Amino acid sequence: MTRSSDSGQRRVWPKRMTSKPQNRGIRAFGGRFLSALTRRSRILLAVAALAAGTATAQQGPGRGTRSPDLRPCDEHWDHGRRVKARSCYLELIDSDASPTTKAEAFWGLRNFKQANEMFREALQAQAEDPDVRVRWGYLFLETHNAGEAAKLFDEALKLDEDHAAAKLGKAGVFSRRFEGKARELMTEVLDANPELYEAYVLKASMDIEENDFKKANESLDKALEKAKEQDISPLEAYSLKAAIDFLGGAAESEWVTKTLERNPTYGRVYADPAHFYVITRRYREAADLYRKAVETDMELWSAHADLAVNLMREGKDDEAARHLELAYRGDPFSAKTVNTLRLLDSFKNFKTYSNFDQLLPDDPDQLAAPIDRPQVIVRLHEKESEILRPYVVELAERSLETFAAKYQFKPERPVIVELYPDHDDFAVRTMGMPGVGLLGVTFGYLIAMDSPSGRAPGSFHWGTTLWHEMAHVVTLESTNHLVPRWYSEGISVYEEWAADDSWGDRISPDVIKAIEEKKFLPVADLDKGFIRPSYPKQIQISYFQSGLVCKFIAEKWGFGKLVELLRGFGQGKSTADNVEAVLGMPSEEFDTQFTEYVQAEAGELVEHHAEWRKLMKQALEAARAKKWEDVIEPAKKARDAYPQYVEAGNAYAVLAEAYLKLDDKEAAVEQLLEYESVGGRNPSRLKKLATLLHEMDRTDEAIEVLEGLLYIAPGDEELHAPLGQWLLAAGRIEEAAREFKSLLAVGPVDAASAHFNLARAYHKMEDRQRTRRHLLMALETAPGYRPAQKLLLEINQ
Amino acid sequence: MPLSAESYFVIVEGLGGDPSYQERFSGYAEELEEVCKKTAGEESLVYVLSGETAKRGAIEDLFKQLAGKIQKEDVISLFLIGHGTWDGHTFKFNIPGPDITASQLQKLLDALPADRQLVAVTTSSSGASIEQLKSDRRIVVAATRSGRERNAPIFPEYWVEALSDEAADADKNEAITALEAFNYAEQKVKGFFEKEKRMATEHARLEGGFAASFTLARLEAAVEAAEDPIVRALMAEREEIEHRVNDLKLRKDSMPDEQYFEELEKLLLELARKQEEIDNATEEPSEPRP
Repeated sequence: MTRSSDSGQRRVWPKRMTSKPQNRGIRAFGGRFLSALTRRSRILLAVAALAAGTATAQQGPGRGTRSPDLRPCDEHWDHGRRVKARSCYLELIDSDASPTTKAEAFWGLRNFKQANEMFREALQAQAEDPDVRVRWGYLFLETHNAGEAAKLFDEALKLDEDHAAAKLGKAGVFSRRFEGKARELMTEVLDANPELYEAYVLKASMDIEENDFKKANESLDKALEKAKEQDISPLEAYSLKAAIDFLGGAAESEWVTKTLERNPTYGRVYADPAHFYVITRRYREAADLYRKAVETDMELWSAHADLAVNLMREGKDDEAARHLELAYRGDPFSAKTVNTLRLLDSFKNFKTYSNFDQLLPDDPDQLAAPIDRPQVIVRLHEKESEILRPYVVELAERSLETFAAKYQFKPERPVIVELYPDHDDFAVRTMGMPGVGLLGVTFGYLIAMDSPSGRAPGSFHWGTTLWHEMAHVVTLESTNHLVPRWYSEGISVYEEWAADDSWGDRISPDVIKAIEEKKFLPVADLDKGFIRPSYPKQIQISYFQSGLVCKFIAEKWGFGKLVELLRGFGQGKSTADNVEAVLGMPSEEFDTQFTEYVQAEAGELVEHHAEWRKLMKQALEAARAKKWEDVIEPAKKARDAYPQYVEAGNAYAVLAEAYLKLDDKEAAVEQLLEYESVGGRNPSRLKKLATLLHEMDRTDEAIEVLEGLLYIAPGDEELHAPLGQWLLAAGRIEEAAREFKSLLAVGPVDAASAHFNLARAYHKMEDRQRTRRHLLMALETAPGYRPAQKLLLEINQ
Repeated sequence: MPLSAESYFVIVEGLGGDPSYQERFSGYAEELEEVCKKTAGEESLVYVLSGETAKRGAIEDLFKQLAGKIQKEDVISLFLIGHGTWDGHTFKFNIPGPDITASQLQKLLDALPADRQLVAVTTSSSGASIEQLKSDRRIVVAATRSGRERNAPIFPEYWVEALSDEAADADKNEAITALEAFNYAEQKVKGFFEKEKRMATEHARLEGGFAASFTLARLEAAVEAAEDPIVRALMAEREEIEHRVNDLKLRKDSMPDEQYFEELEKLLLELARKQEEIDNATEEPSEPRP
């Protein structure tokens, strides 16, 4: 049984927002608005704008120069005296203060639109002043517009290449994007300006993201020292101190107490630590802290949005919708809020299934009772649910059963699997996650991933992706999300390889290059390759290295050690401590042995890599010239030099083509079979292989090839029709029926044949009712369809 | 189509411009030639012009010759394979020497006495030829919506495929009509762009009122006309049942599902039994009668 999922979203939200148009919008607001306002209307505007949120506190020079006139207002704000702070900012707006000061005052009132206008006015008067640009840049940063902020910081740096606040602003932009350049720039600023409180705060924040609490504490101590010396607000440093306490396992933190004593409305003391929980994938803890954040400061709109996003990761969509609506009312400029509201709204277009096919209650908590066997809930877009459902439900259940047994894991809740045909929806679901080019993301018991229809055919193997993500469910949930990123990814990659020779990623030229250039990270630092990559493609290389580390451990010490390591991580051990405890050696010694293993595994590939390129070039040139005899030798040598290469311009494809042109069908088939077995995924090539095998009476193998293709291109009509026919001929009736049903769901050109074949399958299953129905549908399209007529007569005898 | 009518086919392979296109166009022309010969039942009714023989003069000569040969009740299909261009006013099919324009093609086709004609312009910008070529006597198929769709289309690949693929035979009568071939190719083109996640750069068009009854290809040899009056009578009865099926289908939306399928089943059973009678009456004896 199915049910339509309706999250209950009740209004139409603006179009999906990207940062660019929004940036331009803010920067381009009309300039005469303020002058037309009376004092009264200005007050109304300001009061309305109060709804927009809170953040500004007293600031040091690290975020640019501000007028001392703002200080009394900031002081009120910093101590939670918001009414007084607002009156103070309003007075400044009514005074003859400079446009820059008024911009800051509007900003203090959360009236971003007017603040933006005033900065623009200020810049017209002070075109050569980098400070105005820097402060304007920080306004953009606060209004979720890092791109525009970065431009302003760059403009400021053109005017003053040593401008510390501009550099720090850029470092902040990079840091939000998890780019390695952030640390480089921040270090440069700190070396030149060791007095900057904000630089220490940013450094500490990056240290926490990289799990280096010791360094983070040192930076924060420095920051606090500078705050005291310069008499500026220490609240941001307090928040980070609290974050370190929470991440270290403390239930309470003295820094929270200190913060709230100074400013009882400072919700960020919870929201900032929550951010670190999110990036370490501890979503439940994050949601708890975000809840406290909005309880402390109900105007902290970003926390409402973040709370909602994390509630959705727990499947609590209704509660999420309430917080998103609040966030939207308070801060309609947030792309995160708008996009997430739209995503929630789109859930009404999804259908939900479970492996029990039961009607499901709305609240996943109702399903939290212990269950006897793993249970999965699959959420698919209605336009493709009938095509994907049988394969996704089966694989989700099988993968969970496999991992539950291997890792002695008992799921406490059903696992929800969502497939998004629109990559942008998937991107919203994973917003704020470090990493690029994600195909799937696991939030504990919820997996979100691209649907195969969301990507070009052959570019995405949804089966291996789902398998990978399901392994994350086990590694995350069995460690209460304490598992480091590298180990969770490593197990997932390792399990893909273990599932099927053709699954998972092959060793890529980038990985070979990284091995050659000795760019693999020490195991204790492997997380850094994911969180803040320092060179292009380091994330992908770190995935591969992590998988290889797990493979090495399983091969040398046995699979049991992988489970032991997982348990160790669940106890909160660091990678270095865990490796030492489980494998009996310091992590440095492990690194040495791993390097030797990599050399043994991939040394030849590295050695022959340049030669492989030359040979492939030779083979491809011969193929282009249609000199098929000349293709064979270099292509064979290239294949042997790098047998894992199955991407564009691979040796198997060229060899198969050459053999076919030379009328050696068997040799072509052997090449394509090898191509398939090492992970070749081109749908046209695999369909060709299946056809050739069928022609050679090797139908069982042909079926196997097409069954593999179901995990790559399940929406391909040309896949289901022959597969169904061959399965039917092989007596695998139920599977054949599944294929014909999928074919009908695709919307085939030849609907009559699809209905007729499905009728044949039902006839063999002795299901007269369904046989009749599909025969009638076949004959409705093609009344003269003789085989269908004959079967109709037969069932009516 | 009267049973005595002949089916003529003309295939013109235009200039490829580069070897890869030329190879592709030649491949299409060869495949079409094979299908057309099978459908025509006689090789002499199929004309293929390519290379030097595809020059404008040669095309005009052939059409003059055909104008004297073709009868009113005959049918003719013209397939143009290659590149087309449109300068905002005139569509041209690219051939060796001077190109041939849509209006020149129109004149050649208008001069043929056949009342049932088809021209398939499977080139880039081919949509621009429709206004010129369309006629009550003619079906026009174009690979693109207008002259502005200038990319080399993938439509001809599927159009050619349709003429020999059983899947294109939607009504399973062993013959593929112009409408069936068009629907097949159009759906495949749409699917191609959807799957590849690319913006569709071509939208095929079909003009002409008799595409559903214009047989373009036969999957099996055409049934000989029945001389036996009993068989003729049975076939007429079958046709009458087919009409009733079509009438019922038109009323589908106004009927409850269950009732519709019950009535449909009765008619389809009647039709199937009639077909059995025809089969029995026309079946060749497997052994010599004593």
